Amino acid sequence: MLSAILEQTINGLMAGSVYVLVALGMVLIYGVMHVLNFAHGVLLMVGAYVCHFFFTRVTGSYVLSIALAIIVLCLLGIALERAVFRPLQGNLRNQVIASLGLILAIEHLVIAVWGPNALQMKVPATSALVAVGELRFPVQHLLVIGVTLVVVAILFVFLKTSKFGTAIRATSQDRQAAMVVGIPVERIDWITFGLGTALAALGGALIGPLFLVFPQMGDAPMVKGLAGILLGGMGSVPGAVIGGFIIGVAESLSTLFMPTDYRDSVAFAIMVLILLVWPRGLFGVRVRGED
Amino acid sequence: MASRIALVVVLLLLFAVPALAQQQPYLLHVLILCCLYAIPAVGLNLMLGYTGLVSLGHMAFAGIGAYTFAVLMVDAKMPFWLALVLGVLAAGAGGAAIGAVCLRFRTHFFMIVTLAFGLMLFSVMNNWDDVTRGAAGFPGIPRPAPLGGFSFGPLQNFYYLALGAALVAFAVQWRVARSGFGRVLMALRQDERLARAKGVNAMLYKTAVFALGSAIAGLGGVLHVSFLRVAAPATFSLAESINAVLIVIVGGAGSLAGPALGALVFVGLPEYLRVASEWRLVVFGVLLVLIMLFAPQGLSGLIESAWRRVRR
Amino acid sequence: MSRLALVLLMMASPATWAQEKLAVGIITSLSGPMAAPGKFQMNGFRLAEEEINSGGGFTVGGRKYAIELKVYDTRANPAEGASAMQRLATVDRVPVVLGELHSGVAAAAAPVAQDYSIPLMLTIPTGPSLTEQGNRFLFRVNANNDQLTQALAEFIARQGWAPLSFIAWNNDAGRGGVNGMKKLLGEAKIGYVGYFNVGEVDFSSHVTNIRSQNARAVMLLMDEEPGSLAIKQIRDAGLKTQLVGTLAMGSDRFLKRLDAQRLDGMVQYNAFPPNANLPHIRAFSERYSKKYGEEAHGFAAQSYDGLKIAVAALQKAGKVDGAALRDALAAIEYDGVIGKVKFDAKGQAHPPVYVTQWCADGKRRILHPENLKADCGAG
Repeated sequence: MLSAILEQTINGLMAGSVYVLVALGMVLIYGVMHVLNFAHGVLLMVGAYVCHFFFTRVTGSYVLSIALAIIVLCLLGIALERAVFRPLQGNLRNQVIASLGLILAIEHLVIAVWGPNALQMKVPATSALVAVGELRFPVQHLLVIGVTLVVVAILFVFLKTSKFGTAIRATSQDRQAAMVVGIPVERIDWITFGLGTALAALGGALIGPLFLVFPQMGDAPMVKGLAGILLGGMGSVPGAVIGGFIIGVAESLSTLFMPTDYRDSVAFAIMVLILLVWPRGLFGVRVRGED
Repeated sequence: MASRIALVVVLLLLFAVPALAQQQPYLLHVLILCCLYAIPAVGLNLMLGYTGLVSLGHMAFAGIGAYTFAVLMVDAKMPFWLALVLGVLAAGAGGAAIGAVCLRFRTHFFMIVTLAFGLMLFSVMNNWDDVTRGAAGFPGIPRPAPLGGFSFGPLQNFYYLALGAALVAFAVQWRVARSGFGRVLMALRQDERLARAKGVNAMLYKTAVFALGSAIAGLGGVLHVSFLRVAAPATFSLAESINAVLIVIVGGAGSLAGPALGALVFVGLPEYLRVASEWRLVVFGVLLVLIMLFAPQGLSGLIESAWRRVRR
Repeated sequence: MSRLALVLLMMASPATWAQEKLAVGIITSLSGPMAAPGKFQMNGFRLAEEEINSGGGFTVGGRKYAIELKVYDTRANPAEGASAMQRLATVDRVPVVLGELHSGVAAAAAPVAQDYSIPLMLTIPTGPSLTEQGNRFLFRVNANNDQLTQALAEFIARQGWAPLSFIAWNNDAGRGGVNGMKKLLGEAKIGYVGYFNVGEVDFSSHVTNIRSQNARAVMLLMDEEPGSLAIKQIRDAGLKTQLVGTLAMGSDRFLKRLDAQRLDGMVQYNAFPPNANLPHIRAFSERYSKKYGEEAHGFAAQSYDGLKIAVAALQKAGKVDGAALRDALAAIEYDGVIGKVKFDAKGQAHPPVYVTQWCADGKRRILHPENLKADCGAG
């Protein structure tokens, strides 16, 4: 039993890493712009498709394909910010509904262009298996966790020490005050959006070779990532990370004790229960302007 | 005055459809579906349009109504009309209970918690094989029992039933909009803090409208499964809940005619414009974004401003 | 001289004769969550259509017809299923409708078929309750879940594979399979049941539980895309348990997704074994791979047979009429690619359910039924 629990915890951390990558992007955008971008999941998916395209058609280099995918998605994210989210600034409801529209449009555009079948992305360099005691994991799995942790670390450092990072934090805390101090908040908006989208693209490019590339691949990570953010606290980056991992581990562990057809409900039930006790989430910060 | 005449004309036309379209049962079928989708949309309009509550799990409550009705009719062998009423009440009760939990949260949190409950309810419908018959659906649901000598088996008789139920739903919506209750709801949408400061018990009003909206959704759900003669979880999924939001928004949130216009666009048009399905959804998605950007009042608002321009 | 040649030319090629078209209805998933298996269904119908028409069409009641398919996309949505059926019945006025993938949608379409006295011939949905509704106009060409699990359960019980674990889709197909097995094998022989949603791809938590509970065999109730991932994850984790799969995991196409090593020894049920040494199966397989560039899928075979049976029944009925066709279908006996098709009193056919097994060299052998057993290469 104990080894099963340990193994499930590791499984959960791996699943959680994907949720964390999505959650990070969403929480950054939320912090700065106070908009919850539901379309983040489809952006992860587009990132995976773009990476697959570059990997199979243009360059055989996985790393280069990831970089190109990040750049393309970054540009897409900035375009969306300017065209859709900027004009709707201040109206949360409309922004969320607009992001629902984006999900529909983008997901079905991908299906219309690439077809409904899943694509395989075989990266020979990372398909080897690594043995940890009796257990064996694909290198790609460990890569996902590793990259996530590295990204989280870099993000923390960036936010705490760099000029842009500090500007982002300032804008998240109090937009008006940031403007008073001379921070170009509009520029921060699209930079953050681009950064968040880049994280989504990275997530997609990482899990593509691990599983398959298909149109619905971003849907579950987005919803779980969302649960993670709420759990951890809406404006909090460390909260998003911890929340994402908690959701992943809870899901995996639940299969040991509960009928597995209710596995999804576990993540949500946990989220709702925690929110009832801590309405701001575990590390929730009170954000000015939102009651 | 002009809008009243227009309303009467439209109503007359709607009642005359079966007579005018004798040889076109397909048209009747599509109009019935429009009514059946419009009814839950009215419920959501009361919540989203008038009170500003964006629920992403609305169709799950239609499902509560539908499955309660199915179990009561087929397993408990209750008479149709009694089972229908109980189904609607069950949906309303579910709305009150779950709404009370969801409404403890605001805006984003509220949306996600409603989404979560919607998914959890879907899981129950899909997994509880013994009661709901699970993913393959609950077949054998009959058309409504005859009232007086009037049987609802034939398509055009069911059409009158669906139309009647839709009119009831719209009448409720109209009544609420004009009442004190409705005015409080709209105040809550505009500025909840201010309303609270003036002594409004926000939680009570919001829970009430959540329950009412869910009950109306339940009515739609019961008629839907009676029409199709099967209750399947796919009818009450997250995708359908998002569809309901689209119908309300595109039609015009907070307007009386909104749900009807939205249902016509989302249900009626695709049946007749059978274009490639994927592109149809791309168009809907883009349409939603464009409406948010340029016409947030939806079709209803566009028609109104066009009408005003004509009158000048 | 040239004018004569032209006229002769026109008379020579049957395709230029303006042939009268008979439309039959098809409902399937062209988009939405079930679009991938929907493609196989359409492939089967199209192959049959092509064959019938290039052979000069068929004669009903003295008139020659070419077949035309009126296809509607139901997107796994019951309301769309009912609408499509309604349209086919009253606008397109077809004498028969075939297809559908999803049991819930089929359940919504069937009553409409009965309303308008038009036979509905299902070629994929497996929900057993569909044929229990007393609908005289509903026919099912493929084996239903009870029949599939019967054959498989017998085979598994004989092999002594217990406990049997599952990784299954949380939809009508997956759940139906699990419930069926539970009923037939008895709860005692059933181990871990791991459900997952369509679109999920991470089976690690299920794999862990299967390992820790020492499952003797694992049954994978899903289509080929998640199937290839599940098997890869199971084998990568070092588990050597016996694998049991669905008909989606018995094709060469599936083999290409993985490799023969990982699949070696895996058993699956099949609607038909593409390489069996029976002439009509060989002919079908060759034609399919020539047209689509890949091995035939069981769904395609079922649908192909469905359309051909419909045409044969029309010919027997002697007129293009739903009610007459219905009676003809109730009586017909047809030798299809999937075996002998004869509908019982509930409209359910009883085609043989094959059990095939992957060999180490990437070929298949047939293990069941006994009388059709064949060795590696003929499966």
